[in-house]
Amino acid sequence: MTDKTIEIEILRYRPEQDEKPFPQQFEVPYHPDMSILEALQYIKDHLDSTVSFRWSCRMAICGSCGLMVNNIPKLGCKAFLRDYYPQKVKLEALANFPIERDLIVVMDDFIKKLEEIKPYIIPESDDKCLSEGTYKQTPEQMEKYAKFSMCINCGLCYSACPQYGLDKNFTGPAALALLARYNRDSRDAGSAERMKIVNQEQGVWSCTFVGYCSVVCPKGVDPAAAIQLLKVESSKDYLIGMFKPD
Amino acid sequence: MSKRKPYQREMKNDWWLKNIFYSRYMIREGSSILITLYSLILAWGVFRLSQGAEAFNAWLSALQHPVSIIFHLLVLLIALYHTLTWFSLAPKAVDLYIKGKPLDGRLIVAGHYITFVIATVFCLVIIML
Amino acid sequence: MQIIKTDVAIIGAGGSGLRAAIEIAENYPQLDVALISKVYPMRSHTVAAEGGAAGVVQDSDSLDQHFDDTVSGGDWLCEQDVVQYFVENAAKQLTQLEHWGCPWSRKADGNINVRAFGGMKKERTWFAADKSGFHILHTLFQTSLKHPKITRFDEHFCLDLVVENNKIQGVVILDIAEGEAKLIQAKSVIMATGGAGRVYTYNTNGGIVTGDGMSLAYRHGVALRDMEFIQYHPTGLPGSGILMTEGCRGEGGVLINKNGYRYLQDYGLGPETPLGQPKNKHMELGPRDKISQCFWQEQQKGNVITGDRGDVVYLDLRHLGETKINERLPFIRELAKAYVGVDPVHEPIPVRPTVHYTMGGITTNAKTETSLTGLYAIGECASVGLHGANRLGSNSLSELAVFGQLAGQQAAEYAQQAEHHTIKPLQEKAQKIIARTEALLHSNGNEKMADIRQEMGDCMEEGVGIYRTQTSMQKTIDKLAELKARYKHININDKSSVFNTEFLYAIELGYLLDTAEAIAHSAIARQESRGSHQRIDEFNTRNDVHFLKHSLAYYQADKAPIIKYSDVTITKSQPAERVYGAASETKEK
Repeated sequence: MTDKTIEIEILRYRPEQDEKPFPQQFEVPYHPDMSILEALQYIKDHLDSTVSFRWSCRMAICGSCGLMVNNIPKLGCKAFLRDYYPQKVKLEALANFPIERDLIVVMDDFIKKLEEIKPYIIPESDDKCLSEGTYKQTPEQMEKYAKFSMCINCGLCYSACPQYGLDKNFTGPAALALLARYNRDSRDAGSAERMKIVNQEQGVWSCTFVGYCSVVCPKGVDPAAAIQLLKVESSKDYLIGMFKPD
Repeated sequence: MSKRKPYQREMKNDWWLKNIFYSRYMIREGSSILITLYSLILAWGVFRLSQGAEAFNAWLSALQHPVSIIFHLLVLLIALYHTLTWFSLAPKAVDLYIKGKPLDGRLIVAGHYITFVIATVFCLVIIML
Repeated sequence: MQIIKTDVAIIGAGGSGLRAAIEIAENYPQLDVALISKVYPMRSHTVAAEGGAAGVVQDSDSLDQHFDDTVSGGDWLCEQDVVQYFVENAAKQLTQLEHWGCPWSRKADGNINVRAFGGMKKERTWFAADKSGFHILHTLFQTSLKHPKITRFDEHFCLDLVVENNKIQGVVILDIAEGEAKLIQAKSVIMATGGAGRVYTYNTNGGIVTGDGMSLAYRHGVALRDMEFIQYHPTGLPGSGILMTEGCRGEGGVLINKNGYRYLQDYGLGPETPLGQPKNKHMELGPRDKISQCFWQEQQKGNVITGDRGDVVYLDLRHLGETKINERLPFIRELAKAYVGVDPVHEPIPVRPTVHYTMGGITTNAKTETSLTGLYAIGECASVGLHGANRLGSNSLSELAVFGQLAGQQAAEYAQQAEHHTIKPLQEKAQKIIARTEALLHSNGNEKMADIRQEMGDCMEEGVGIYRTQTSMQKTIDKLAELKARYKHININDKSSVFNTEFLYAIELGYLLDTAEAIAHSAIARQESRGSHQRIDEFNTRNDVHFLKHSLAYYQADKAPIIKYSDVTITKSQPAERVYGAASETKEK
C-alpha cells in the first residue's frame, strides 16, 4: 500500500434527516487498482457506515452499482481511481432518477418500463414442443439481435438521456433496445404487438437522437442504434397504414 | 407510516451546458433555427423574382451587405457542422449485413461523404453552366 | 404488519428461483406465487456464470458418459439416482431455455454448439459466448414477466421462516426501501438463495452470496449436508477473485508457471497435450479440485509468480488468436483488461484459485424436498446430491434448470393439497421475529462488523482452504467461536429505516458465521481426503470404509453443530480410483 490518498465527495441524502442532498468529503487511501466501488466499500467499512449504495458482482455484469462519477454515469466497479487521481472524485446518485438515499436511486419506473415492452419470445402459434428440439438459428440470425441482448439493466442510459430527464413518460433507451432485441429475434412473432408501443409518442418518437445513451453504455449495447432502427420500422408501419386503410 | 421521501432533482435550464456532449447536441439541434432563417431568405428571393427583375436585383444586392455575408458564412459553417454530426450518427440507423456481419460503420460514413462530394460538385457544375 | 397470502413463496430470484416460479405459473395457473429477492432478479449471482451448461446433445456422447463423469468428478459422493435424473433431463431443460429465447451460441447450420469443459469426457457444455449465466438469468427473468400470477417482491430481505406444527407456513420479509416487515403466508416455500462463497475472503462471488437460505433452514433444524466441500475455481483474478471461465481452457487456453512450463503434467493430468488441441479430461481439462490443488503444490515448490496482488500462475490464451477470443471469450478479454490491465490477445492472464462454489447445502431428497414439511430447496443453497465432493464445471447451470423445474412442480403439488394455517399463531411468530430483528438493529456494542467479516474470511482461507490439517481446522473452529461471541456485541451505527444497508450487512454476517461454522465442523470431522476436501495430515487418502457418507451438520444454538452421517445412494457406479490424463485412458481399456 502507498501513503497516497484521494479525496472523494459523496452527495449524501438521508430521507429521515435531510431536507435535501448535501456533499460530504472523505479521504481514502489511493491505490491505482482500486475501483470507485472499492473506495465506497472502504468508506463504509472504515469511515462512515451509514453511506449507502447498491453493489454485488464487482465485475460489471449484475448492473447494481451505477452512479454519477464527476457527473458522468458509470458503473462503480468499472471506474478506477487511477483515472481521476490526484483530482477529487465527485460521486452522486444516477441522474434523472429520484434519490432514495445517498447513492441509491428509485428504480421502479425503469423496471416498469422493462416489464411493459413484452420482453419475451411470443411464438408463432402454439409453443414449439420440447421434443422437437431447439429452434434453428444461424450465427447470422443471432447477429441481428446479439448486441441488443447484452443489456445489464444498470440504468446508466436513462441517466444519460435528457429526453427521459424532461419527460418520464418516454419508454427510454434500455427498454427500447430490449424491445428491438425480441423484435429482431428469428424465433419471435410478436413484433406487431410491440410495434404499438414503439409507434406511440412516448415510444421511439420521444427520442431526438442525442446519442449519449450509447456512449455511456458499459456493455456496448448501443440503444441509440436500436431506437433509430425502430424508427425506420415505425415509419414503415405508418406508410403501410396509410395505403392500407382497415 | 412510510419514512421514504425520494428526492427528485430538478433539471435546470442550463443542463446542456454542464456536459460538452449535450452542448454539441444542442448546437446541432439549434442549427435548425439558422437554417430556417436561411431558407426564409431564399424563399423571399423567389418571391422577389416573381415581382420582376428590379425587385430581384434589389434582393441580390441586399445579400451583398456585410451583415448578410457574415450571416451566410455562419449558416454555412453551422450547416456543415450539422451535416458532419449526422454523418457520424448515420451508421446507427443502417441495418445492413454482409456475410452475416454488420456493415462496418466507417464504410457507411465514408459513403455519405462520397455522396456529399459528388452532390456538391454536381451542383457547382450546374451553377457554372 | 402487512400480511400477504400466497400459495407458494420462493426466496431468491436467481436462475433456479425464477425457473421454479415459471414452472408453477405455466402449469398450475390457479396458484399464486410470491417471488422474493433481496435484489432485483437480474442482479442475482447466476448472472456472473460464464462458461455454460452441460447437457448431452452430440451423437458420440451418451447419458451414461455424462453420468460417469459427474459421479467420478464428485469422487463417488453423488446421489446416483439424482445424477441419473439430472443427465436425463439436462438437455431437455436447456432446450426449454432456448425456446424462451436464450441465445445459445450456434454452429453455422443453426444448431446448438457445445464446448469442452473440465472433467467432461465429451463436449457437452452449451454456452452463450462467455456470458451463459447472464443470458440464462435475463431470459428467465424476462420470461417470468409473461406471468401475472408471479408477484415479485424485489429488494425484500428474508428475515426468517415461520414454522408451525412442524410445517413451514410462510416467511417474514423486510421491505428494504420501506424498512417495514411483511408476513408472507404460504403453503409451501422454495429456498433458492444461492451459495455462501462470501465466507471466504477471496472468492468469485458477488457481495450478496451470503448463505442466507442455508442459514435460515439450518437454524430451523434442517441439516446442512456435505458443507466441507468448497470448490476453489483454479482461475480467478488475483486480489478481486473475479472469475476467468473454465471455458478459457475449454477453448484451448493453458496454465503455465513462472518458467513457462505446463505444470499440470507433473500431477497425474498429463501427458502434455499439443498447444491449441485440448483433450478432454487431460491437462487443463482436468477437474477443478485437482487443478486448484496443483497450484498449491507449485506454490510450495516456488514455481509461481509473486506479484503485487499475491502469488499467481498464468492462463495463456494468446495462441487462440484475436478472432476466436473475440467470438468465444469477449467478456474475459473485457474483464482482464479492466481488472488486471492485461489484454489476453497479447499477454497471459495472471490467475490463482479462489473460492467459487459450495457443493453442499440444505439437505433435500431427490425431489428437492427438505426434512421440514413444505420447504423445498434448489440451486447452490441446496444439496440435492448432484455434485458430491466436487462439482464439474457447467453442471450447476443445468442443475438450476432441471431442479428449478422439479421444485416448482413439487411445491405446487404440495400447495394444491395443503390449507393455509390459521393466521393468529403465525402473526405471533412473526411479531417475535420482528422484535428480535429490532433488537439487532439497536445493537450498540463495540465490535466492528468489518473486522469480524475480514477475520472470518481470513481464518476460513487458512483453515479450510485447498489443503487442510487437523490443527489448521481446529484453529479456524476456535476462531469462529470467538467471532460468534463477538458478533453479539457488534455496533450498528445506522438506525434508520429507509434502505439501511449496514443493518442488512449485520444480518448477513450472522448468516455467514453460521454457515462458516457448519463448513469448518463438517471438515474437521471428515477424517479422509475426497474431492475438494484434501487433508495433508494423516488422513490424506480416501477412506470408503468410514467416509463414503454424506456429512450432516445440525445447528445447536450457542454450541458447536452436531455432525452426523448418512449413506450415499449408489446405483450403478461402484467407487473406484479417480483418474485423469493418461491413466483415465488406461482405465477405460
